[in-house]
Amino acid sequence: MAKVEFRHVAKRFGDLEVIPDLSLTIEDGEFVALLGPSGCGKSTSLFMLAGIYLPSGGELLFDGSVVNEVEAKDRNVGIVFQSYALYPHMTVRDNVLFPLRFKRMPRAEALGRVIAAANLVQVEELLDRRPSELSGGQQQRVALARALVKEPQLLLLDEPLSNLDATLRLIMRTEIKSLQKKLGVTTVLVTHDQIEATTMADRIICMRAGRIEQIGTPDDLYRRPQSLFIAGFIGSPPINVVSGDAREGEVCIGSVAFPFAGAPGAVTIGLRPEHLRFTDSGLSGRIAQIEPMGREILYVVDTDAGYFRVLEHGSVAAHGVGEPVNIGFSPDDSLVFDAASQRLLAATRVGPPT
Amino acid sequence: MAAVTDLPVERRDHAGSAARRRTNFALFLGPAIALTFLFFVIPVLIDIAVSFSDLDRTLRISKFTIEQYQKVFQGDRLLPQVVGLTFVYAFGTLAVFNVTFGLVLALTTTSLDKISGGFFRGVWLLPRMSPSVLYVLLWLWVINPSDVGLLNQFLMPMFGLATPLDLMTSAPVALIIIANGFIGASLGMIIFAAAIRGIPEHLFYAAEVDGAGTLAKIRFITLPALRWPISFVTIYQTLSLLVSFEYILLLTKGGPFYDTTVYALYVYRRAFTSGQYGYGAALALFLIVIGAAAALLGWRFFDLQRLLQRPRIEVH
Amino acid sequence: MVAPVTFTELHPRPAAPVDWGKLAARARSLRRAKAVVLYAFLISVSLPIILPYFWLVTIALSARTGVADTVVLWRSMAVLAPAVIAFWLAAMLARNRRQLWLGLTAIGVVATAAFAWLVGPDLHLRNFIFLVEPDFASVVRSRVGAVHGAVQFPSVWRAFGNSLLIAGSQTAIVLTVASLAAYYLSRFQFPARAAMLRSLLVLHAFPVLTLIVPMFLMLYWIGLLDTLSGVILVLVAFELPFAIFIMKGFFDAVPWDIEMSALTDGASRRQAFLRVVLPQVRNGLLAVAVFTFIRGWEEYIFVFTFLIRNTNWTMSLYMYYVRDDVMGVDYGVVSAVGVFYLVPSLILYLAAQRYLMQMSIGGVKG
Repeated sequence: MAKVEFRHVAKRFGDLEVIPDLSLTIEDGEFVALLGPSGCGKSTSLFMLAGIYLPSGGELLFDGSVVNEVEAKDRNVGIVFQSYALYPHMTVRDNVLFPLRFKRMPRAEALGRVIAAANLVQVEELLDRRPSELSGGQQQRVALARALVKEPQLLLLDEPLSNLDATLRLIMRTEIKSLQKKLGVTTVLVTHDQIEATTMADRIICMRAGRIEQIGTPDDLYRRPQSLFIAGFIGSPPINVVSGDAREGEVCIGSVAFPFAGAPGAVTIGLRPEHLRFTDSGLSGRIAQIEPMGREILYVVDTDAGYFRVLEHGSVAAHGVGEPVNIGFSPDDSLVFDAASQRLLAATRVGPPT
Repeated sequence: MAAVTDLPVERRDHAGSAARRRTNFALFLGPAIALTFLFFVIPVLIDIAVSFSDLDRTLRISKFTIEQYQKVFQGDRLLPQVVGLTFVYAFGTLAVFNVTFGLVLALTTTSLDKISGGFFRGVWLLPRMSPSVLYVLLWLWVINPSDVGLLNQFLMPMFGLATPLDLMTSAPVALIIIANGFIGASLGMIIFAAAIRGIPEHLFYAAEVDGAGTLAKIRFITLPALRWPISFVTIYQTLSLLVSFEYILLLTKGGPFYDTTVYALYVYRRAFTSGQYGYGAALALFLIVIGAAAALLGWRFFDLQRLLQRPRIEVH
Repeated sequence: MVAPVTFTELHPRPAAPVDWGKLAARARSLRRAKAVVLYAFLISVSLPIILPYFWLVTIALSARTGVADTVVLWRSMAVLAPAVIAFWLAAMLARNRRQLWLGLTAIGVVATAAFAWLVGPDLHLRNFIFLVEPDFASVVRSRVGAVHGAVQFPSVWRAFGNSLLIAGSQTAIVLTVASLAAYYLSRFQFPARAAMLRSLLVLHAFPVLTLIVPMFLMLYWIGLLDTLSGVILVLVAFELPFAIFIMKGFFDAVPWDIEMSALTDGASRRQAFLRVVLPQVRNGLLAVAVFTFIRGWEEYIFVFTFLIRNTNWTMSLYMYYVRDDVMGVDYGVVSAVGVFYLVPSLILYLAAQRYLMQMSIGGVKG
């Protein structure tokens, strides 16, 4: 098992600085997700963990020892690439056997391990096929088997589900999570999909432009996003964002005044669609659009404070387009951010207009 | 309403279209067909005809005979040596330089960063990019049998030799193999390097993480991906080496005596230097047949489907 | 065989601690050793190529008495080799762009100064007299005194002109004929199409050098031996299959819709060809033009065999006879001519770099 630590790690490619300063600790046996938009440096961090990239500065530590210069082949790390990177001219069996070639074990034992790994991800019937004959989901599972067969102390997953279709993605999410629980191997998942991160990881590390925005459990990031970026990134459908100028006791958004409890100043307010409901009094507006989503319905409401998305449970729309409605919410569900720094003002609350 | 007035126009167009089709054919394909017929087909026929004659320095044919072929199979004592040399030269150059050294160059230059790798590949392209006369000129200067030659300047102090080396007389076959090898290696290098750069990077990363060192990566990832380019280079270059003689002619003129005269050069010397055009034609015919056979076999390497794509416009 | 129930049951976790420090140190020294070996190997095998070409240039610029000495070569190397190493070290160690430029300029200044001091006095352009003096051979001989053979040399400009004429005409004709043929083969349907495409494939791969003997006889009987037009025709015909092959590839890549819309707009197929399709394949035309020109410029064998009179000499023949005749007498002039012959070739090849790869793998499977 490995406890992994980044200490002021930096990575430059020529003149381009992808990661300026990264400090992070991952505990032994944890399932951690590096979440963020493309280009934020998450895959780069993963590759530095694997030993594919050499950090330009700072230290990378496994169990307290600096491993910056240790070669990938000595690190006992398993990695699943977004493209799976299966060796095209080898059978599945040879693909999974490959890492064991370099471990100097008797062939019988190696083959036994291959079968065990194949059973673990349920590809035991595909052992004689070539990667080109496999479906995307099968290829991914073979890649997983290959990563696990050497009993790595660190498992790295680079956007493993992004090439799969929706159903398969759901299935593999559960499988990977239960696999990790069973084996207890420290796992780092890189993804841009916040649902993947929130459903699979114990802790999420949200990154932007090479820096960490916030670290916390999925719940932390959802309820108490430290910045507007996180609030917008986590949660689907995306949060409603409006800006206004707060004075003593109230904040004006558009032509509507919301009760405000906090210090005055320019603020940005976030209200999640699932926390809004249609009430008798509150923010008034007209329904502009209705999007049925199966077991939920998304309403787009045109108000004097801008467009608001409201998510309601149920499959039958209780309101129609053009109908006047009132939107209400609990002040505890409101998220208020400083307009300039975009940081969360933790004690500040906003209430529905009266 | 449309049908009646359409008919005459259609018929007229059809007739005009046939004439236009013929002129288009003549206009577009005519020159090409004429030239290829004149310079590919006719020479082959001429060669066959001349090989059955006694055409010599006088450039007059007095009789038709099969004595040239009798000479080929029974009368020429030099021929076996020439044929043997041709095979030694062709396969020696191919195996040592074109394929092996080309591979080594491709592997080493792609392991460096882009600029350094490109620099070394550029250097190795110089022989190929220079006119043959110039390339051979430089070789002649390098192997000059006095202490002016670059080679002697290096080797004499290194091995403590008293007299300068003369490769031309002491190791002529090695000389032509190396001189042609530099040219061949650069072609192999280019093709192999391009193929190597086409291998997805993530395969190498996966292998690194799986525990593969440099040699293992070459063995399990690079070489399997090069299987096809290697066979392409081998077959293409074999044919090329069997029929070419330009560099040898320039470098050693086939000498000393006939020691470096490969088959194609032998044909040339017999025909032009000795004036035995009939005999030369007979010898050349074998080469032509081999060339044609190899060219026909080359079909297999070509994506015929793509080549024969049906045109989508039918009118002329 | 009984498969194990779970992965973890069969294989307990490894307990041995790993010495990361040792692994890191080993990796570091391995990396450095690999770099040293790679560079040492590449430099040592590339020197046999770099040195002679550089020698050519130094002799052209410095030889006085016609002797090919290597003093200038070694002196320049003594300046250049350290300069190159210094350049390379600077590139490796510089931390940002500004440092890099400072380093490079500093090294450049020092190297130029050393070069000027060590080598400068020896440099001159007198070896390039052949450019202005048509009968330089006798001038050279009178300088040194020895006479080898009595070949009359034409002006180098005449040879240059002949080379240009051959290469240029060949290129023009090949471009025209090949484009027409390739377009027809690519875009028209006619009965013999498949057969013709197959024969194109065969011709393209056929080694034309094997036909040199009957070609000589044919030119003699037609009366085109020892004429530039004869040589041009031969070179055109031999270059044609390759050129048609390449152009067809380019024509195949032009989308059909462009032509179809031209036809519906009222153009005939010929007009569609000229106005719509041809501009699309400009890259192909350029590539074929450059390659054909290079072939014509460097051509030696056919020119050597088919041309006799010295007024018909091309640059390649000129080089050959200069080397044969003047060789033992004036290395300087020979190398000057060599440089003069080489530079256009190199420039053309560099210009065609992009197309090199496309051409040799063209329509080949894999």
